Amino acid sequence: MKRYDLIVVGAGPAGLSAAIEAAKRGLSVVVFDENAKPGGQLFKQIHKFFGSKEHKAKIRGFKIGEELLEEASGAGVEVVLNAVVTGLYLDKEVVVKLGGEIVHYKGDAVIVATGASENMVTFDGWTLPGVIGAGAAQTMMNLHHIQPGSKILMLGSGNVGLVVSFQLLQAGCEVVALVDAAPRIGGYGVHAAKIARCGVPFYLSHTIIKADGDNRVTGVTIGEVDQTWSVIPGTEKQFEVDTICLAVGLSPMSQLLKMAGCAMEENPGKGGLVPVCGEFGETSVPGLFVAGDVSGIEEASSAMIEGRVAGAAAARRLGFMEETELGARLEELETALSSLRQGMFAPRNKGKTPIHTDEGCPISSNLLKKGYLTDDEVPAYPGVKSVKGIHPVIECTQNIPCNPCQDACPKQCIKIGANITALPAVDENSVCIGCGMCVAACSGQSIFLVDEDAGEGCASIVIPYEFVPLPAPGQRGIALDRSGAELCPAEVVSVKSAQAFDHTNLLTMKVPREMGMRARFFKLPKEVRA
Amino acid sequence: MSRINDRSRPLGQFVPLPDDDRIICRCEEITKGEIRRAVHDGMFTLTEVRRYLRTGMGLCQGQTCARLVRDIVARELGVSPLELEAAASRAPMRPVEMKILANETKGAD
Amino acid sequence: MTACADVIIIGSGVIGSSAAYYLAQKGRSVIVLEKNEVIGNGGSSRNGGGVRQSGRDKRELPFIMHAVKHIWPTLSEELGMDVEYYQKGNLRLGKNEDHARILTGLTNSASACGLDVSMISGEEARQICPYLSEEVTVASWCPTDGHANPMLTTLAYYKRARQLGVRFVSGDGVIGIRKLRGVARQVITESGAVYEGERIILAAGYESRAIAATCGIDVPMTRALLEVLVTEAQPPMFYQMLGTAMADFYGHQSTHGSFVFGGSSGFEDTNKDNGTPTASSITASCICRGIIKYFPILENAKIVRTWAGWIDQCADHVPVVSFVEEVPGLILACGFSGHGFGISPAMGLTLAEMAAQESTTIGIDALRYDRFKAKI
Repeated sequence: MKRYDLIVVGAGPAGLSAAIEAAKRGLSVVVFDENAKPGGQLFKQIHKFFGSKEHKAKIRGFKIGEELLEEASGAGVEVVLNAVVTGLYLDKEVVVKLGGEIVHYKGDAVIVATGASENMVTFDGWTLPGVIGAGAAQTMMNLHHIQPGSKILMLGSGNVGLVVSFQLLQAGCEVVALVDAAPRIGGYGVHAAKIARCGVPFYLSHTIIKADGDNRVTGVTIGEVDQTWSVIPGTEKQFEVDTICLAVGLSPMSQLLKMAGCAMEENPGKGGLVPVCGEFGETSVPGLFVAGDVSGIEEASSAMIEGRVAGAAAARRLGFMEETELGARLEELETALSSLRQGMFAPRNKGKTPIHTDEGCPISSNLLKKGYLTDDEVPAYPGVKSVKGIHPVIECTQNIPCNPCQDACPKQCIKIGANITALPAVDENSVCIGCGMCVAACSGQSIFLVDEDAGEGCASIVIPYEFVPLPAPGQRGIALDRSGAELCPAEVVSVKSAQAFDHTNLLTMKVPREMGMRARFFKLPKEVRA
Repeated sequence: MSRINDRSRPLGQFVPLPDDDRIICRCEEITKGEIRRAVHDGMFTLTEVRRYLRTGMGLCQGQTCARLVRDIVARELGVSPLELEAAASRAPMRPVEMKILANETKGAD
Repeated sequence: MTACADVIIIGSGVIGSSAAYYLAQKGRSVIVLEKNEVIGNGGSSRNGGGVRQSGRDKRELPFIMHAVKHIWPTLSEELGMDVEYYQKGNLRLGKNEDHARILTGLTNSASACGLDVSMISGEEARQICPYLSEEVTVASWCPTDGHANPMLTTLAYYKRARQLGVRFVSGDGVIGIRKLRGVARQVITESGAVYEGERIILAAGYESRAIAATCGIDVPMTRALLEVLVTEAQPPMFYQMLGTAMADFYGHQSTHGSFVFGGSSGFEDTNKDNGTPTASSITASCICRGIIKYFPILENAKIVRTWAGWIDQCADHVPVVSFVEEVPGLILACGFSGHGFGISPAMGLTLAEMAAQESTTIGIDALRYDRFKAKI
């Protein structure tokens, strides 16, 4: 039987990271993935990732995928695609469907990194064509370049629902509403703000009552729910849509582990049925490890570190690494992992709603309900200072693990400090040169450069802009406020697209002076857009 | 949790619900009402429901409906969904043609 | 606390559940104890579903012939649930002289017992089932054989028995049978519960051996791990029960359209497990190769699941269904050796008669527990 030191199942962020870590220590490593392309979900992720600079923050997901693949090939990892692992048997025997045959392999260690699958909810008409998962929508848009629909309602306000909604807007679809049965938005406020300012309305405490249509979706009815999740009569709202997109959570794809006889547990905090793990992701079957979403739903950034941990632990178990070396490496990784697991959205804070940030700033309830900060709330945060001349306005108001803005500023205007979840603060004593590096570096697109008195009674605002077609300097349009409401006329002053901005264009617009702290998005007039 | 299950304990009357005809398992076209009825027929575990109705036995092997079925069964039994053990995972993880399954190259390089 | 009933049945498989049903019909109170969390989770849910008379040991034949004649044809109606019984005959296939010899031997002994089984040619077999490969040169044919859905049959007996008032308790394993004043009366479980009955039926598959030992009785048996696989639904093709001379595989097409096949790799007696009935990595492939040789048309059918189960293999591959004179009150029903499903209705009926102290419809002397003797 063909044998490897390590067999990894799944070539997503966790699996590839595990393989790289192990291969670098000299293990023979093969990675099997059932898909035609490696990278798991990474290649669908066209947005910039959160996190720390050391762990791929502000790099777009697909780019991370490319980097991982390159690193894997450099480390001698064998990645086998279109390889369906059909079973995980006794003695860590991995049976793989390869083309027209079944091949048996054994690994001295096996790391399962099979990821997750999308949850479903049911409502009348949920089986109609036009009801799709958010993952499917992403695949259609970002891998196959097909619009999933033209008018879309999104159910689910977690990061997946928010990110995919934004991508739908980027793909030219209309998102008519973002709906969630929970009373508060589940994902990052900055992701919500990105779509709110484009004019997408949020309906929290709402659920889908039914999808309309005979042969396919032609509309959808939603309604408000009370505390027992029952629809309150009279609150029904109807939308004409051709697509209903569901982003209602993920479940670990842990079937292989259950089959392999691992002790399993239903763990709601981890998203469902997961193996009971000891240190370093080792299951109850010695030498069988897990990493990434299959061991508990988290972000890709955590999955990559978990992969590294499992890879290192497997290397140690097989004698490719000394205990001390492992200790040092794990300490490094654990520190990184625990820094990602801090803040409001940390796994341990699931379900809690803090009232204040760590800094003592009030958490905006409007942001949690409608997806945007009100004008009154904005000044309360350390990233928002009224300074003469051009300066960054950082509307980052929740403790999330992310710090690229700090290093982006060549003038050290932005301070986060050692604690990666701290809110970025603008240092009034440093002088902003208006380079815009912070605007492009912010994965949450929550940094703006504002000059509240740019002359001629105008304010100038630099906004991150990731839509096509790009407006041209001199074009006139409408400035939208944080809620997406039309605010005032605006004129494009410049559009910068430097390589360092990595496809985040910096659009500078001129608005009446009093709108400098209110205008946050630019829209071309309808006739121009058409 | 105790795994002891006295199957004579009363579940109350079966009460029809307006959404009983909603399809839950798409592969095998099993409705919510059928699943609820199965519980009252004595199918107290997800494995029994599966064998009784074929929920989760189709091409997707329960990938889509397993959680939905679990929640319905739990509600009918008056227990937390977490108390219900997931049905067994069976190889092959994806459907495989017989001629491919038959074609082993075990030990080959 | 002690729970009492006329009869305590240990094991909720198709044997225990059917016995419970027939006892309830007679108005007896019954408690069924099941170690597993799931009803019928042993061999009852892991077999090819054959309801066949041909190829059986002659000691089992009266039971299967009675069941096929009097119970199976109306069982769905009786239990109020479709058990997917088809009486479309059984083809046992062969491809060479050796196979022909085996099949002829089985056919002759069954005919001698009055069974309507005969040897037919490959051509005749293909007339019955046109999908057979040209390699098939010989077969035995028993037109009154058939198949049913073992999971549904078990659950149908369970469901009906439960409706009739039988109390089923699952998830609490029996650790012993206790005699009171020389008579088997009490059944003790892992949780410490005590169940007391006039009669105790031990129908717990291989586990019966350890339980019987607690009152000093042994049934010589071992356990073997058999595997089953199932395809996605196919268009309706044929409804005969199928097997081969070498028993490489056996199975049928179900009502749903899927094909269910049981089979083996040859390592059943030495297969390894992890404490649960684990499928081996090589058996499903082996069964598929066997099937394709006889049914090339199925080569593109997709296998959606494979699963394994232990059978309680008796020393002579024939069940023990017996009173135990040394332990009054105890009735053994184990060692079914993988042949239990087809005969389960007749066995349930017989066990109910035994527990109700009635004379049995079918003679049970050949299935006694003390029939095992040293070879010299």
